[in-house]
Amino acid sequence: MITFEHVSKAFDSLEVLSDLSFHIATGEIVGIVGPSGSGKTTILKLITRILVPDAGTVTVAPGTLGYVFQEPRLLPWRTALDNVAAPLRAQGRTTSEARETAGRWLERVELDGFEGYHPAELSGGMAQRVSIARAFAVEPRILLMDEPFSNVDVTLKGALMDILESIIREREPTVVYVTHELTEALRFADRIVELTPDHGLREVDLGDRAAVAREWMRRTLGDLAGRW
Amino acid sequence: MGAGVAALLVVWQLLSLTVSPAIMASPADTAVALAGLAWGSKLWIELLITLRRMVVGLAVGAAAGWVLGIVAGVQPRIRAFFEPLRWVTMTIPAVIIAVLAMLWFGLGDPAVMFTVAVIVFPTMYVNTMSGVSTIDSRLTEMGRVYRFTRRLLLTEIYLPGIASPVMAGLTLATGVAVRAVVLAEVLGAMTGIGHAFSRAMAYLETPELFAWIVVLLALMAVIEFGVLQPLKKRVMRWRKEAQ
Repeated sequence: MITFEHVSKAFDSLEVLSDLSFHIATGEIVGIVGPSGSGKTTILKLITRILVPDAGTVTVAPGTLGYVFQEPRLLPWRTALDNVAAPLRAQGRTTSEARETAGRWLERVELDGFEGYHPAELSGGMAQRVSIARAFAVEPRILLMDEPFSNVDVTLKGALMDILESIIREREPTVVYVTHELTEALRFADRIVELTPDHGLREVDLGDRAAVAREWMRRTLGDLAGRW
Repeated sequence: MGAGVAALLVVWQLLSLTVSPAIMASPADTAVALAGLAWGSKLWIELLITLRRMVVGLAVGAAAGWVLGIVAGVQPRIRAFFEPLRWVTMTIPAVIIAVLAMLWFGLGDPAVMFTVAVIVFPTMYVNTMSGVSTIDSRLTEMGRVYRFTRRLLLTEIYLPGIASPVMAGLTLATGVAVRAVVLAEVLGAMTGIGHAFSRAMAYLETPELFAWIVVLLALMAVIEFGVLQPLKKRVMRWRKEAQ
């Protein structure tokens, strides 16, 4: 579905990805973890073709993309309903068809009754749910998520993840989930790869998820402790 | 606001008492002159002539500034191409544009409309262009990810994104247009408020001269509070609902 072959990408002189190769199969849910600045978002942008690689090739099977950004990225001048409907209109559907589908998806993320609200009238968690509805409404074959819960508080995070998980199980898109928080990715991912500081890629062995989580916590806490 | 208007009237009255009526008409004399103009058809005829010239000039100049402002905002190379035109139209004194327009088009409608359009253009152009550059690039990126068509990018992201600076530009441009139309009529027309104003000045009909000033102020008030502000409220509805 998605193949990176010897991909390199630099911004000015800052090398972000170097000779990166990996493959993601159809229907796979892959978590990509790594610290800030390790090139996670760059990988997603290469998949969308907003960015092109400096070297190497990125091959993506044809099909619609859904994208949940780190922040909701809604059009402030459009209602929740029209925000979800806009990408559907880009697919050539009429406004009324697009709105009908958008309404169903808002219901799916438990936002029925908020169709006519503008983004500024919604809480952060609600806005992110609109963004999730928008991503699924286009019936994506590939769903890209860029730290979708990093701006949502912990209590909401659980509820949002429940919604997301149930839709992913039902629609079975190929998912690339980028996060700096490995435990988040552990919940959905069939596979997790970790970007290492030397621009390398390490496959995380998910044989014992609890052990992986414990190891991750130990490492993160160790890092924190080391800084004190 | 009411107190401010009253204070202006009081100052006007006091000033008119200290100088010759040939230099400054009192509010009462002005009101009488105004009533005289309104009673006959003169006021309405001149007002319509001036309004028509202003609206056409403003529409042409503002539309050109808006369209080119969007294009220049999106395309840096086009912006560089239009930069000299912006600089010339912004820098050259209005009176010179009016004189050139008379030279090229003779006295009357075309010269006045041309003057208004040229003077209005840069205000709208600059506001629109800077509006485009302040559009949140994360939104345009979202549009590209979801494969928005050009039309959809324009109607969903660019046009609503620049609505606020464009409305500010249009308000400014309207004020500029009123000044420009009067200037052009004083210099190069045989009809219109500007011409009636300069005729009143030539014949030392000071109350009538002041009456025309009041007419202009009233015209601006009607345009600003009756047209522009309701339009702005409509265009920026989403912002109000969000408050």
